[in-house]
Amino acid sequence: MTVSRRVTLMWIAAASGTALAGCDEKDAPASGLWKDIALEPITAHPYGQDPSLTEPVVPWPLTLGTAQRNVLRIAADLMLPADAHSPSAGTLHIDAFIDEWVSAPYPLQQADRLLIVSGLAWLDAESKSRFAVPFAQASDTQRRQIFDGIAFKKKIQPGYERAAQFFARLRSLMLGGFYSLPEGIADIGYMGNSPIPGPWPGPTPEALAHLNAGLIKLGLKPVNSG
Amino acid sequence: MPKQGNTPDQGFEPDVVIVGSGAGGGMTAYMLTKAGIKTLLLEAGRDYDPLSENAMLKWSREAPLRAASTPDKHFGYYDATVNGGWTVPGEPYTVAPGSKFRWWRSRMLGGRTNHWGRHSPRFGPYDFKPHTRDGLGMDWPISYDELAPWYDRTEKLIGVIGTNVGLENHPDSSPGVLQPSPKPRITELMIQAAANDLGIPCVPSRYAVLSRAIDDAHAPRQACFNASPCGRGCGIGAAFQSTTSLLPMAMGTGKLRTITNATVSRVVTDGHGKATGVEYFDKAGASHVVKARVVVMAASACDTAKILLNSAPHGLANSSGELGRNLLDTTGTNVTGHIPALENRPRYNEDGMDVAHMYIPFWLYKEQAAGKLNFPRGYHYEIGGKFAMPGASLPLGNMEDGYGLSLKEDARRYYGAQLSYTVRGEMIPNKNSFCELDPEVKDKVGMPVLRFHWKWSDHELNQIAHGMKTAREMIARLGGTVMTPDRKPEDAIEDGGVIIHELGTTRMGDKASNSVTDSYGKSWDIDNLVVVDGSVFTSNAHKNPTLTILALAMRNSDHLVSRLRKGEV
Repeated sequence: MTVSRRVTLMWIAAASGTALAGCDEKDAPASGLWKDIALEPITAHPYGQDPSLTEPVVPWPLTLGTAQRNVLRIAADLMLPADAHSPSAGTLHIDAFIDEWVSAPYPLQQADRLLIVSGLAWLDAESKSRFAVPFAQASDTQRRQIFDGIAFKKKIQPGYERAAQFFARLRSLMLGGFYSLPEGIADIGYMGNSPIPGPWPGPTPEALAHLNAGLIKLGLKPVNSG
Repeated sequence: MPKQGNTPDQGFEPDVVIVGSGAGGGMTAYMLTKAGIKTLLLEAGRDYDPLSENAMLKWSREAPLRAASTPDKHFGYYDATVNGGWTVPGEPYTVAPGSKFRWWRSRMLGGRTNHWGRHSPRFGPYDFKPHTRDGLGMDWPISYDELAPWYDRTEKLIGVIGTNVGLENHPDSSPGVLQPSPKPRITELMIQAAANDLGIPCVPSRYAVLSRAIDDAHAPRQACFNASPCGRGCGIGAAFQSTTSLLPMAMGTGKLRTITNATVSRVVTDGHGKATGVEYFDKAGASHVVKARVVVMAASACDTAKILLNSAPHGLANSSGELGRNLLDTTGTNVTGHIPALENRPRYNEDGMDVAHMYIPFWLYKEQAAGKLNFPRGYHYEIGGKFAMPGASLPLGNMEDGYGLSLKEDARRYYGAQLSYTVRGEMIPNKNSFCELDPEVKDKVGMPVLRFHWKWSDHELNQIAHGMKTAREMIARLGGTVMTPDRKPEDAIEDGGVIIHELGTTRMGDKASNSVTDSYGKSWDIDNLVVVDGSVFTSNAHKNPTLTILALAMRNSDHLVSRLRKGEV
């Protein structure tokens, strides 16, 4: 065991209030690095049952630290990297959305906070254990090695189930956060929320042709596109 | 519309006081004031103007948590519901051990008409005589033919899109009544192709949304501009809600006064079988009594029951013992499928009129009559699937995996490739489903609250099982994968109240011994007490109830007008 790993374990243990007793460090599987971190409950005010719909505001303060936000931004760039269609999720500050989410004073968000804050600590612990550096200082290749153990539904490394749960939740939130931004909406091709006066024009000829090709393959009657 | 106050207008002596401003209350206010009758409308919630405070055309990213559902806004940040949802501050309710029930309320002018689904099918001839057909429940004291002209008038007034399809027990409207249907979406055409192949109809739906403008001096309403969810409230008046239609039209007559933040606690009587008015509490907690010749209850099935139960030791107008009994909701469950044939499909603006342009009406009446089904009443599917505005979660049919460039490819490929089949079925009244006063818990004005009892019977469970099985067959016919877990019907059926179709607590009947109200919603016991909300329903066909609440309220307030004119009340 590296010094850094020991330090991390102690830090996690201290933060979660659990002792290291019984943990055989030499034989501990990597999964043993996961600790649910004990968090002070969030006491900020919710927005209430009659908030302004025309001028919405987020009334609760953000709670993640600089280091956590940094790891989230790095993870976001790996999760949804730049390509020809849109920039990376980190560039679009998805870490800020995740911070808003986990800082919200609602039960679902607080459950996510436990998972995500613990998961961010786990990323560091895992990286230090395997590569002797925290996640933020690891190379992209090393970070991908960590992701590869937890990111694929049918290839989750045994013992890494909780970390995989964290990753799946982070992926879901990052997908939502990213594709609801203008760049994400342009990428995925949502064309609505734009008034069309008069009768709705209906599907385009291209959309109908695609539908009919599919229906014919299924042995179903194609639609008259006229 | 003119500003609402929350203190009584001293110079205004109403002929009629209406409790509640939603579908039934709004329609009754409209009918009475158009007939020149001085009417006072009491609303428990605050004043609300959808023209100025709706969230139309807002993006999910502009709201906290990308507009996701929270315990404050159960249907998402932008849902129009004010100070309500499954909980209302200061107005708890309880559920008896062993029962599961949830109660959706709002506290705003116009009530739940501000966010409702707008799905507006008519009840058919079978639906008014269910006992005659299968020996279960009770027949209505009216027939479809008696209500049909009122359906026509209601549809014309509120504006309903739809197409006459001539199907058994799905009545057509008279010519010229319905507004033109929008074209189907790609997803709806796909559902229709598979359904028809399996012998199941899929036809244009009926929704209370305008495809043609309605001109009115006090409530001009534009045609739908094919954007923004109706549940946010409609700032152009296209989607029907009491606040942009019936209430401003009633205000325009000069005969209506409205008091908001007025929580009605009880109906006041003279002790000789006559109602004299109602007591309400204002926002500051001060009580007031308003007097009128007639009291009209339109607080919603459960709040009307609560107020009447609190108005006399064993409940007012309860000589039958049926007050609060026969509580109904609609059965509900959902089956969703991922359809490979929809992957990577060409993009276009698929918002349409927000509502489903097509639906699957019940189609097995003949099989049911022949005894081939193991459940007695119908259900329909509300179908879904479109390129929807991304929010806090991006629905990809749980097909997304991994991370990186391939995840972005997954998002493009699977977006808009899911279809949903939402089952909505008829529940039959049973002795185990009712509401009563809780012996201990009280609300913010000190009145006992409702305690709910709930139990589904095999009628509902067998029906839900059939609905789930058939949805799976339709998804399979499209080569799709069902994403919804295969559950037992008792696990898959939504809890009581969750479909938000509470009905039946003051049901109509043909005699005083089996019902709370007569065929005009008039209390058998109290001659000047009339009920115009969903509590008068004798049965709950699977067809969403609001249109029928409106048509009954129109018919029954027309009857009240004639009684007032004759001096009978």
